[in-house]
Amino acid sequence: MDRLRIFFSRAWGFLHQKHLDEQLREELQAHLDALMEENIRRGMTPEEARAAALREFGGVEQTKEIYRQQRGLPFLDIALQDLRFALRGLVRRPGFAIASVLTLMLGIGATTAVFSVVDWILFRSLPYPHDDRLVSFGLLAPIERDEFSLGAGYIDFRKEPGSFEAITSMAPGTTDCDITEQNPVRLSCAQVEQTFLPTFGIEPMLGRNFTPEEDRKDAPPVAILSYGLWKSRFGGNPDVLSKTISLDGKTAQIIGVLPARFEMPTLRPADILIPQALDETQQRQSAPGAVLRTFARLKPGVDVTQAIAVLQPWFELAVSGAPPEFRKEIHLSVRTLRERQTSDARLASWILLGSVFAVLLVACTNVANLLLVRATVRERELAVRAALGASRARLARQSLTESLLLGLLGGAAGCGLAAILIRVFVSIAPEGIPRLQQAGLDLRVGVFTLVVALASALIFGVAPALYKPSAEIMMGKEQISARRGGSLRQILVVAEIAISIVLLASAGPLLRSLWKLQNAPTGMETENVLTEQISLGSHNFKEAAQQVAFFTDLEARLKRFPGIRSVALSDSIPPAGQMRSTILVAVEVAGRPALAEGTGGPVGWRAVTPDYFSALAIPILEGRAFREEDRLPTENPIILGETLARKLFPGESAVGKQLRLFKTPDGPWRTVVGVAANVKNDGLQTNGDPEFYLPWKNDPLINLRAGYAIVRTRMNPMSVASWMRSETAALDATLPVNIETMSQRVGKLTERPRFNAMLLCLFAGIAVLLAAVGIYGVIGFLVVERTREIGVRLALGATPQSILKMVLGSVALCTIGGAMLGLLGAWFCTRLLESLLFEVRAHDPIVFGVAIFALVAVALVAAWIPARRAMRVDPMIALRYE
Amino acid sequence: MSASHGEVLQGTLDLMVLKTLEAMGPLHGYGIAQRIQQVSKDLLKLNQGTLYPALLRLEQRGWVRSKWGVSHNNRKARYYSLTAAGRRQLVTEAARWERMAAVIAGMLAESEGT
Repeated sequence: MDRLRIFFSRAWGFLHQKHLDEQLREELQAHLDALMEENIRRGMTPEEARAAALREFGGVEQTKEIYRQQRGLPFLDIALQDLRFALRGLVRRPGFAIASVLTLMLGIGATTAVFSVVDWILFRSLPYPHDDRLVSFGLLAPIERDEFSLGAGYIDFRKEPGSFEAITSMAPGTTDCDITEQNPVRLSCAQVEQTFLPTFGIEPMLGRNFTPEEDRKDAPPVAILSYGLWKSRFGGNPDVLSKTISLDGKTAQIIGVLPARFEMPTLRPADILIPQALDETQQRQSAPGAVLRTFARLKPGVDVTQAIAVLQPWFELAVSGAPPEFRKEIHLSVRTLRERQTSDARLASWILLGSVFAVLLVACTNVANLLLVRATVRERELAVRAALGASRARLARQSLTESLLLGLLGGAAGCGLAAILIRVFVSIAPEGIPRLQQAGLDLRVGVFTLVVALASALIFGVAPALYKPSAEIMMGKEQISARRGGSLRQILVVAEIAISIVLLASAGPLLRSLWKLQNAPTGMETENVLTEQISLGSHNFKEAAQQVAFFTDLEARLKRFPGIRSVALSDSIPPAGQMRSTILVAVEVAGRPALAEGTGGPVGWRAVTPDYFSALAIPILEGRAFREEDRLPTENPIILGETLARKLFPGESAVGKQLRLFKTPDGPWRTVVGVAANVKNDGLQTNGDPEFYLPWKNDPLINLRAGYAIVRTRMNPMSVASWMRSETAALDATLPVNIETMSQRVGKLTERPRFNAMLLCLFAGIAVLLAAVGIYGVIGFLVVERTREIGVRLALGATPQSILKMVLGSVALCTIGGAMLGLLGAWFCTRLLESLLFEVRAHDPIVFGVAIFALVAVALVAAWIPARRAMRVDPMIALRYE
Repeated sequence: MSASHGEVLQGTLDLMVLKTLEAMGPLHGYGIAQRIQQVSKDLLKLNQGTLYPALLRLEQRGWVRSKWGVSHNNRKARYYSLTAAGRRQLVTEAARWERMAAVIAGMLAESEGT
């Protein structure tokens, strides 16, 4: 209580210094006047009276000083004084100030920008309450990247959810759904269970969640709108709850609006939530049932390993219900929601964060170097201050204040740079970096920047703060010399070189891997190929015949255009994945028993029209491509990919063999008519996965609702794009289409590695540049400080070459030390990169060699300029120096 | 100046100021100094300047309060007066001082006795 009162009184005093000083002066003056009057009354002359009064009073200024210390907050007083002093110092040496602030701006700005992006991936909580307790669980099979559950098994589990607080399910992915009233639009609908929102802890912003009754088969349709749709289509009108929306021709009652912050756990955009209406009897009849995405909220204190243990019995049961060939290859998987959302972005995020911190460290080292140089220059001033009674702690404090000021200035500038960098990142970043659009400078990032700025200030401020002027200099006995503090500076240079080498050696493999990836053969020719992605609405194109009619119409229209070499239709296109897939055991060869056990791994397939192979220039190795007759319902040809043909018919020709697909005992036997060369289907890193082709025609096996038109042109394909669009619009004006060249599609696959490699190269580049500046600064200063010594040596007959050797020798020592340390660091760091690499080893001796060579070269060039200056020192001038 | 010449011991100045204000009522710094000199019959060499930091300290603790007023010879002066808390503090402080003085007197008497 007392302390608080004293503190407030002092704070008051601190804030009203001027006014209180004036009062104090008056009060003391009055006291002195009174003393003087008294003395005069006793008969002294005014001069004697004044002298006696001052004597009786004791030192006036001393009193004021003690009084002030008692009155204000001396700690802050000194801090302010230091700050003023530091500011004056910076203004007096603008070159030094600008160099330090710019260096810090680079380091802190890059760090802040990277943090603001990876924060969303690594640290920031997901937009669900207690997000750490949310998990995604289910089975993991070779054909599926994320865990799933099967309908019947899920319904069993739902009855006894064990140690889960809540579990829920949703249909995988989102489906296209059309608003079919006025202004028709294509939206994406997510089908979710009634427990979906409560499990994730989300309350609708308006209205309510589905009731269990509404989540049944044949219940009257209801819909929950996303915030975005509510704003855009209903103008944010709260009356929306009394309205209906016509979805794919069915009228659904709007019962709620989601909060603005809501996002699907799968991170797919969804405009509308509709009930999943999972029907128990139907699921049991069609066991194992539909594929579901299943999520759970763990009870407090339960972790993922415990959850796995709890799920094990359920898993055994679920597996026993799965087709026997799957059993061995299915695993149980429980992942936190964050892990599911960010799995493949995490490693890259950590690496980028680490490398940008390394850059920051180099920046700090450089500033520490600059400060040390300045401390040497200011040695005499410091010595004088020490002689006048400044304690070592006081000097250190002054020096730290300067560092903090620099750190804060650098942090402020860095914020500006980060704002620009974030924009650049967002515009050049590839698709699929989670929550990138949300990245920006907010309070959280601001606090991070502040902490980074202060931490950097401490890092680069420690060395200069410990720097103490020696008594000899104070007494003028010793020359100011670069050698004191010199070894410290050399250590800093060694650190810079080591960090730069680690960064270079890490960027190198990424670059090489990128280069290999870009030059990896895709198995097709992508030049002059235009692709159009079309997805037909279920309202306008209900029947398969309508869908076939649309696509064949489109095909005929596109073929009419001059300059077109071939036109093809397919249900999916390489190389971005999404092709249909089955398993090897589902491919039955006539006259051969089925595979003994296991699935044999996934086999991809797609339906294509005859011109598909010519449009993408995929070579037919054996047999023939499809023909127009193959599109007749009576024909059942099949074309195998090279890998599948080799797998099924090793050492013999596949053409003419009979196959039956998809484990359908009454299905048709298909004749292999050809073997096509391998194509990269699921990303560029895969190599010749087994695949086959079926003719695109009206067949219940084939998804006719969505597909691609592929056009090979004689000219620049983009010139055909607008015409392609108008031809499509002529058939149905409301269809959303997505037209891209094949090269763009392939390019997208390298975007992510390119982004990673580019950033890492940028950081490595900055680090090397900073290291070069650091070396230049240190050697330059060394030369200036030793000018006199060099002059003497030259005067005594040293050759300029020997001087050059002397200067460069000191650089070589630093560089070799740094290179050794760097190699050691790189050896450990590059191992982390392994999973990001494609056909490149992490410990690549060539890359290591190049990194070291590059740095040695940079170091020598940076040292060369000051070294040459040393060589040309004129002994006469040098000896008169100082 | 050493203690034997009457330098004011640390802590005793606070007590003297409080006692003076209790005896005399509101008083300015000069008045307090004069009073202390007078009571100590000039045995005490008070550096009058040290009074002001002491007054500030007492004010910060809430034992005295100050107000600007006009002195008897029509000068602007800052008057200090005792607060209720100051009065209580004076009682405890005086008691402690007396105990202390008794202890020291006892010790001195004993050592003289041997």
